[in-house]
Amino acid sequence: MPHEGMVHALEETHRILRPTGYLIEIHPAREVPFVLVRSDGKISFAEADPGYDYEEDLEQAERAVTVAVDRGMFVLERTRRFELRTHASSVKELRDHFAVTGAYDPEEKDETLLRFRDAMYERAQAALDEPAVSQELIYVEPARMSRLTPT
Amino acid sequence: MTVRTDPEGSEKVSLLDLVDFTDADVLEIGCGDGRLTWRYAERAAQVTAIDAFEDAISRAERALPAKLRETVHFHNVAFEDFAAATESNAFDFTILSWSLC
Repeated sequence: MPHEGMVHALEETHRILRPTGYLIEIHPAREVPFVLVRSDGKISFAEADPGYDYEEDLEQAERAVTVAVDRGMFVLERTRRFELRTHASSVKELRDHFAVTGAYDPEEKDETLLRFRDAMYERAQAALDEPAVSQELIYVEPARMSRLTPT
Repeated sequence: MTVRTDPEGSEKVSLLDLVDFTDADVLEIGCGDGRLTWRYAERAAQVTAIDAFEDAISRAERALPAKLRETVHFHNVAFEDFAAATESNAFDFTILSWSLC
């Protein structure tokens, strides 16, 4: 969404909120997501997602919130950081899931980033293929959640 | 293994730390497949959950637990269209769920 579209969305959100209400805004943190393989309770693989390239989008979203606050629409009261973890048993299962849910759409990515991402997932799958009693693949996405009060 | 998103409940813990949903009228923008909706809807009076992606709304409607059918209402609509048809001061809480960017 373009920056002005984000600000307009916040204006409309302000309008439909009751004066005593809250806006909860959730978006990825400006930190690189990473992939883990946990084997028998221990981390056997950990790498950053080289396909992360939405820094600019996140910056625009944060700027839109700042504009909404500066224009007196909202007061930013509290922000929390958390990690959204997606667990799967294989790389294929995880990537199929993301394809269905529309997350991390590869069509929007640079080809070089996609190759790096494919290579990272190959290494993750190799770690999953090592003998172990229990294993899982975990995609970790740092995120921020903020509470804003309309003014 | 089925893919599990946030089995640790980190997102829910953060959300409930920020807001008490008891008896609230809630609008969730960008609800996707309802992953977050289920986690707070039981406490709310009414939840209107919207998403511009038809597939996501279809999955959310199929997964809607029976006990929430009178509380949660999904709509396949973009926020700008929804807002244009919505009166002012309609909701206690609005959640912009991973949808501003």
